[in-house]
Amino acid sequence: MTPLPQPLPPPDSFDQSSSMWVDEALWGHRLYDEQLPWMVFLEFLNVFYHEADKQRAFAEPNGLNTLKYKAAHRLYLRNILFNNPHLTDVRINFPSDNSRWEEWLKRMKSAQGIAHAQFSFLREHFHSFEDFCDIVALVRSTSLEVDSNKRWTSKFVFPYGKDCLFEDLDSNAATNDRRFFGRTGEILYLMLCRTPRKQDLLAALNKRLANTDSTWDSIIKCLQPKDDDQISGDRANAFLPYERHPTFDELAEDWLAILRLSIPGFDAFPHLVNLAGLHLLKYQLSISRQVLGLDTPLSLICEVVAPRKTLVREVSCDLYQENNLLPAQAVEAFLSKIETSPDWQQALTGNGAYERCRKILREQVRWGEDYEGPPDPQQLMAALRQAAMKRHRQHVGNIHRNYGREIGLVSRRGTVKLRYAPTDALLRTLLFANVEKRIELHQFLAKLYARYGLVFGDKEAEQVLAKDEFGKKAFQANSRRLEQRLGSLGLLRRLSDGCAYVVNPHHLEAQ
Amino acid sequence: MQETEDVKRARQVFEDLLVEDRQEQPGVRLKFFNLSRANSAELFDRAIEAFLSHPGWQEVMQAVPGENDVFGPKCPIRHNYELLQTPLVQTRLRALLELCDYNGLHVPIRQILLLLTNAVLGHPDAKDHLMVPADVPKVIAAGTVSKASLYNNIFGGNLSAIRRQAITIFDYLERFQIGYETSNRVDNILIFGEGDENLGTYFEQYVAKDDFYGADARFYAAKREYIEGTDENEERAQEFLQMLVSQRRGLFFKIPKQAETELALWELTVFKFAGEYLESVLGVLNKGAPVKRPILSRLVKGLNRVFTGMLINSDRELYLATSGNYSQAKVSRILLERVSVDPSKGEKVTLRYDECNGRVVLSVFFAPGLFVDLNLTLIRYEFLSRIALEGALPASFSKECYEDLLAFKSQLIAACAKRQAGEQATPGLAIGLNLLTLTDQGMPDPRFVEIVP
Repeated sequence: MTPLPQPLPPPDSFDQSSSMWVDEALWGHRLYDEQLPWMVFLEFLNVFYHEADKQRAFAEPNGLNTLKYKAAHRLYLRNILFNNPHLTDVRINFPSDNSRWEEWLKRMKSAQGIAHAQFSFLREHFHSFEDFCDIVALVRSTSLEVDSNKRWTSKFVFPYGKDCLFEDLDSNAATNDRRFFGRTGEILYLMLCRTPRKQDLLAALNKRLANTDSTWDSIIKCLQPKDDDQISGDRANAFLPYERHPTFDELAEDWLAILRLSIPGFDAFPHLVNLAGLHLLKYQLSISRQVLGLDTPLSLICEVVAPRKTLVREVSCDLYQENNLLPAQAVEAFLSKIETSPDWQQALTGNGAYERCRKILREQVRWGEDYEGPPDPQQLMAALRQAAMKRHRQHVGNIHRNYGREIGLVSRRGTVKLRYAPTDALLRTLLFANVEKRIELHQFLAKLYARYGLVFGDKEAEQVLAKDEFGKKAFQANSRRLEQRLGSLGLLRRLSDGCAYVVNPHHLEAQ
Repeated sequence: MQETEDVKRARQVFEDLLVEDRQEQPGVRLKFFNLSRANSAELFDRAIEAFLSHPGWQEVMQAVPGENDVFGPKCPIRHNYELLQTPLVQTRLRALLELCDYNGLHVPIRQILLLLTNAVLGHPDAKDHLMVPADVPKVIAAGTVSKASLYNNIFGGNLSAIRRQAITIFDYLERFQIGYETSNRVDNILIFGEGDENLGTYFEQYVAKDDFYGADARFYAAKREYIEGTDENEERAQEFLQMLVSQRRGLFFKIPKQAETELALWELTVFKFAGEYLESVLGVLNKGAPVKRPILSRLVKGLNRVFTGMLINSDRELYLATSGNYSQAKVSRILLERVSVDPSKGEKVTLRYDECNGRVVLSVFFAPGLFVDLNLTLIRYEFLSRIALEGALPASFSKECYEDLLAFKSQLIAACAKRQAGEQATPGLAIGLNLLTLTDQGMPDPRFVEIVP
């Protein structure tokens, strides 16, 4: 494994922020577990469309970590779709089309977040109130988080186009409280700014977005007045601490592969979302390993779910636990590094040690202002450790678990413990990203290991595991089960005892 | 070999032929025979012929064995050998192998030989679960002849579960779930048939009369206990259930052709429609005749239900619908296009047999020359038929078929878009959508909605 790249200096706004800068220094500002991969993707699209509009997509023209963008609010659209329980009621209780419109428009005058709400523009777009209701139902049916119990300002229209994008808002619909748009989408955007493949990616992304069916974006546009220009203030302070990292490049390559598939426009999105989640998870673990100076590559032993307990499941559970602890260990190592640094050691000597140490912490991790414990450097450091771990555990430390489960990598199926057991959907995504036309199964397994550290078969497991943990038969059975699963998904052709091909059907279609 | 252009090209040609299961490619003067792709049923014909006519069998028979000797009148090996000679057993076994082919599971010749050997010699109590001559008198003396049942051995019933799963042919045959699938009628015959006015004759004919593997003393005793429920012992009940598995397997090979429909033979397998698939689809297409309309209609109805995610009853047109965002969405309410099943303006839906790779193909034509094929495997046929008739998704194999068919839908939508290309709507004009709803009878009732941008 390559050593940790030199971290970039914190952004200029470093002083203005009130929270401590530990997780942020390691992984950026910031990874946020409650922002699940779909929300990451939506936030990314908000940034991307804004920057593309200004002709500077993936460019960071003012230098690293200077991203500044604005996001739309689209409160008319969101009130109609997600804060509007009146449609059925009005449709049933008011017989004529005109009376329906009038009643509904009256009720909607109190729409939240809009001063002097006026929804009458809708009548120009629809021939009848009933048509309007049908379209609203249809758009809702494809929206994200519709059935969840999230606040109405955290529900999103499927990203059919730029008229469908807006940022998450607090329950007063006033400002982005970073609840579900916690900047992880900004991190994702910055990652893609910092890969040599960014021009290819920009071209592929533009092509894909331009070729999607524009009907839906047009329909969504009809649910908004022409002059709805409510927009956020500048969104700044995004920070990604590394100028380059292999994860960024691998993410870009995977996205490129998906964008080039011959599948209908929007079908690519779930794959992009899965891969974004996977690479963010992998980014966190890789950086952790680099911080800890571990020189073995990351490995994720995957069980293809078996009917009963197997050796593979056991090893996978253990390894999951081990990996799950890595980020916390990295935080620990990061703090130890401060403690053993020459600056700190020197500060300890002589009078005023406590004040000098406190200053170091204020400068480096922006912490200590509210410290009220005994004026002793050791105790100060202990308090920081405690505070940092507590904060880490709340959100950043859950990325591995939450993203892993959300993208279908981590599962509890058939057990009480979590482990790596990829779902069919994730397997499909991985296959589409890694198989251009077709390759032999064993090559596919080798590729998954080389690129992601995913281990399915005995050849890869033997490289990763110690002798007493490794069982050839168990892993052979595991890859046989994988073969069956891929076969039943129509992604594998077994030709004889010795030869099976993994095929990407969407490549064949393109021919 | 040097990596010249010719070498690369040759490798590509072989790989293509191999992966795409073809014998030849236009422009290449080569015929490619993939031996592992030989028709399993034909391999079976040759294998069983060779197996049964092996001179060794005659030798043991001529030795005039005594009653309890190998190949004597009570010897299970001899009985199994004789059963294997009966046309009915051969036909059913052959049908199973043929159906494996149509599920894309190819059985190599050594697996067939392994199957035949195990069928004749299998016994769970013998060493390696296979009888040698010295075992026969012991088996007879122990009264466990019924455990050597050919019907059970065909499915590897004499082997341990782990061993069975590791052997290709038993893995394949297990997917039919013969012995575990059943109908009320069959179980009534087996459990309550004895002496019953209506079912008695069946019980007599298929179970009681079979001295070897039918109802023996063990079976009658276990059955009585099971019916009367006197014994609370779980283990005993389990034992009887295991006997039922063997008996159902026996029935699969005993019910004659003429009683197939009446006793719903194929309900003893997971594939209720397998018999129809063999006879009314494959059999008919092989003769160059068209498949009966009700079958095609049923398939179309099944496709419509998968494509729309609704319990739609239409079978004269194929309904292509989407949800707006994913082509793979579960419920699709926006109707894109209807394709006529009967030939009309270049549109049609047909079934045909592809000689080149031996598959049944369902083709949807959008225009002459613009069509999409679906390899109609047995499992897909079963799936579509059940969805059309029962509306429910059979959980055991729903997922893979469902995904396959959604992929087929996106191919159809792509082809449909191809036909539409060049007829793009003028921008700025109203957007029209056909929203699909169903009447109470499940008939499609699209509603047109227009939006003015």
